[in-house]
Amino acid sequence: MIGSFKQAKKDEEDGCGNPYHSVDKTSVLQEARVFNETPVNVKRSTHVLTKILYLLNQGETLATKEATDAFFAMTKLFQSNDLVLRRLVYLGIKELCNVAEDTIIVTSSLTKDMTGREDQYRAPAIRALCRITDATMMQAIERYMKQAIVDRAPGVSSAALVSCRHIMKDSPDVVKRWVSEVQEALSSDCVMVQFHALGVLHQIRKSDKLAVTKMVSKLTSSGPRSPYAICLLIRIVARLIEEDEAGADCRLFDFLESMLRHKAEMVIYEAANAIVTLRKSSARDLAPAISVLQLFLSSPKPTLRFAAVRTLSKVAMTQPNAVTACNLDLENLIQDVNRSIATLAITTLLKTGSEGSVDRLMKSISSFLNDISDEFKIVVVEALRALALKYPRKQAVLMGQLADMLRSEGGLPYKEAIASTIITIIEDNPEAKEKGLDHLCEFIEDCEHTTLAVRILHLLGREGPRTRQPARYIRFVYNRVILENAAVRAAAVSVLAKFGAQCETLLSNVLVLLQRCMMDTEDEVRDRATYYHAVLATRDSALIHRYILNPPQFALPSLERALVQYLRADTSAPFETRAVPTAPPPQEEKKAQNIMEVAPRQEERVVPTHEKYAEQLSAIPQFANLGPLFKSSAPVELTESETEYMVRCIKHTFRDYIVLQFDCTNTLNDQLLEAVNVVVEGEDWDVLLYIPCPSLPYSQPGSCYALLRIPEDIMATTGTFSATLKFKVRDCDPATGEPDTEDGYEDDYTLEDIEISVADHVQRAARNNFAAGWDELGATNELEDTFALSAMSSLEEAVTQVTQFLGMHPCDRSDRIPEGKSAHTLYLAGTYRGGHEVLVRAKLALSDGVTMQLTVRSDDPGVSEVIASAVG
Amino acid sequence: MGMFDRLAFFLGLKKREASVLVIGLDNSGKSTMLNHFKTEDQKTTDIVPTVGFNVEKFKTKNVGFTAFDMSGQGRYRSLWEHYYHDCQGVIFVVDSSDKLRLVVAKDELDMLLQHAEIRHRRIPILFFANKMDMRDAVSSVKVSAALGLERISDKPWHITASNAITGEGLHEGVEWLTNQIKENFGNNMNR
Repeated sequence: MIGSFKQAKKDEEDGCGNPYHSVDKTSVLQEARVFNETPVNVKRSTHVLTKILYLLNQGETLATKEATDAFFAMTKLFQSNDLVLRRLVYLGIKELCNVAEDTIIVTSSLTKDMTGREDQYRAPAIRALCRITDATMMQAIERYMKQAIVDRAPGVSSAALVSCRHIMKDSPDVVKRWVSEVQEALSSDCVMVQFHALGVLHQIRKSDKLAVTKMVSKLTSSGPRSPYAICLLIRIVARLIEEDEAGADCRLFDFLESMLRHKAEMVIYEAANAIVTLRKSSARDLAPAISVLQLFLSSPKPTLRFAAVRTLSKVAMTQPNAVTACNLDLENLIQDVNRSIATLAITTLLKTGSEGSVDRLMKSISSFLNDISDEFKIVVVEALRALALKYPRKQAVLMGQLADMLRSEGGLPYKEAIASTIITIIEDNPEAKEKGLDHLCEFIEDCEHTTLAVRILHLLGREGPRTRQPARYIRFVYNRVILENAAVRAAAVSVLAKFGAQCETLLSNVLVLLQRCMMDTEDEVRDRATYYHAVLATRDSALIHRYILNPPQFALPSLERALVQYLRADTSAPFETRAVPTAPPPQEEKKAQNIMEVAPRQEERVVPTHEKYAEQLSAIPQFANLGPLFKSSAPVELTESETEYMVRCIKHTFRDYIVLQFDCTNTLNDQLLEAVNVVVEGEDWDVLLYIPCPSLPYSQPGSCYALLRIPEDIMATTGTFSATLKFKVRDCDPATGEPDTEDGYEDDYTLEDIEISVADHVQRAARNNFAAGWDELGATNELEDTFALSAMSSLEEAVTQVTQFLGMHPCDRSDRIPEGKSAHTLYLAGTYRGGHEVLVRAKLALSDGVTMQLTVRSDDPGVSEVIASAVG
Repeated sequence: MGMFDRLAFFLGLKKREASVLVIGLDNSGKSTMLNHFKTEDQKTTDIVPTVGFNVEKFKTKNVGFTAFDMSGQGRYRSLWEHYYHDCQGVIFVVDSSDKLRLVVAKDELDMLLQHAEIRHRRIPILFFANKMDMRDAVSSVKVSAALGLERISDKPWHITASNAITGEGLHEGVEWLTNQIKENFGNNMNR
């Protein structure tokens, strides 16, 4: 007896008091037979059904057969009128409906419950019904849904409205027919029903901007009573203002401002948040919103304090001056018991604070850094980075602080954030470089994160040789070769080689070190050491330059394809590397969203990569022999948005040809287009071939192509083309898309002109070391010219324009202009069609417009001429 | 079952519970027929095609019925068999004015009779030759012949002409079913 008691107690401890913890799937499915008993055994069925639901929620999956059996057994429980059991059945239906077959069987039973008298049944029955009903069956339940939306019971109405939003995903057209019911629900007395109704209504009209505007203007004047609905309305209004480019609609903004005086705190906060996050808000618009947030900062409710400080920290990034008014309140919040609030307060202060207060803030940061989690530490580091860029004179203090933080405990993301902050400071301020490199060197002496160590080593290789005493760093680098794992060792070897290549005095020592590395246990390290040693030992500067400082950077997939093609064809001639496109330099990756910025971004349209295009084009037999694809331009719209037909043009450049790809979309649902073609005309250019798109049904994009030969004369390779869309129209039934039997008629549609510019012939290329490349190309094909760019008002503008126009890549971070300078030198690198290397140096000076001295060097005189003449 | 319960049943003090399956082609009048048995305040005025099934409850004399009103539409007929296992009686409704589809009804009936769950059970089957008021309705005898009912030898069966809207013939049929089910209960008890 005592033994069994002990056993029971032990079980209790193991299972933490969870009665279901030892439930097993097979036995439960066996037990589910109890559902079949007549009359229904309510007590046992309830228990077994709960077990099934528990299992499903623990992530257990059922096979289709098992689920279907369980489902049909469960349907028999509809015999019982037990309230608890019935509601469990609804849950069971929702859980199983994705796996089991023939779930349609419960449709009538559910419709009976949702129209029945028992209110407890109705809302869950609606939710379950909408889950099992697919698009084809939607019509059968339409009548009941309409009734439910306007039902007097708020729970029922809300359930129907929320289900509408789920249905919208699969069959938006059905829900659109229920607009009048939804509108009626919007005037309901219940706050939640209003909120849900507004949500559905907005979703229905989302695609029609005019309808949304109308709805908003009606609602803003009458104003729903529910604070939840108002919050939603505020979001819709904010989006409208954001999208409206022609200048903010005053009434909409006035509405937001009036909501700052609403009774409910949530509405006030939502309005303030909307106003401050609007991109167009001026400082004057912000003032009332900021003062509301300031009041919240001293609220006794922690949620309000958190919300307010979070919003303020977001504003501080863009408009620090507006937040300065709150500084006093923010400083009080540093002592807040909630560390999240304190962290946000301090980072906001860092962004808004003046130069003088930096030292004081630093002290308070170090005192509380140990209390907060890594995520918040990263936020602090980000703030420090912003501060360092703002006050270069304080960088010494900040660097010290960062070095301290680097030494303390922390995970990889935290350390990475610190390291990249230090790197940013180094790149921004040459004076801080040596100090920063010292800190980083010290850090990698004891760094457990391989990726970070490799990154810092790479930086050392780039910056180290150009410092006053490069020899100091050799010790740190060689220590890595002795102490670290293979990946780090390989990186260290490359760095050593870079030191050797750029510093004459160190070369002999580096060669000795490399010789030692050749004994390494790892293939990669040995390979690199042997390679670099061989190149450096020649002491031939051209060779060293070509293979160590600016190694060729091929796009690897293209290189692979070119090699495969080469092997298939005649291999007697040497492989032509010029034909292989170089890898485009990596775009600056978007900063990972940190936890403080959760603002949802609209997903951007995915632009297919170079590779994808190359694959698509080579699949078309007519284009299979054009050679490797050199460059694909970004899509250009040839029509206004929201016209009958939409056409986008993508220019694909090959060695001797250009393929124009036209992506067409037909936006008329009563027309079927056939034999769609875009006819282009331009001087000196021959169109070799058109590939029309055979059929273009409503809203399904299709592509047609034109193949052009690039003229021999290199000066005639740019031009403007007129384009016309030609097609055959067949009218069709909008609902089914079936075309009428009769033949269609010819029609055409004028598109905007297509421009082929220099940028289409140039691929961006990265140069690790511009100066070395510049010297190497030499002055043989140099061209120089001076231009007055009178239309430009700032150096930034000129830099972006020139870079974009030439389609080249800025090197040595020369696209960033230090503030307050009136002269700047921009270095650009690129590859011209056919594999010609092009480098451009543009000296810009600001004087009543921008004056530019452009120097072009390349390995082909024609190319130099084209580039130089392009700007003029 | 205890002595007291048996006495209670015998005296009609305690009700027996039985579940029956109501099947038949679409538009034969199954839901309308069941609607007739409901109490006045539960009746619905409009009957729509059933999708899946509905559970209805009604009682006669001293048996409480739980009826599974199955959907008769072609694509749902395959789902009937899920409910064969635990029914104590079958009501098969035939539209006697739809001569064309009597063969379809016969097919469905044959499949029911051949089904593993039904074949070896002595389960009473009640046929309603429904819509007897229609002008072109055929008599119950002819329906019986068309369905080949005379072949059924191992199960009690009964056919009645009915009008589900007015209720004509329904009570007679259900009374027969009640007696059959009671008899079955009696047999089980004595065994």
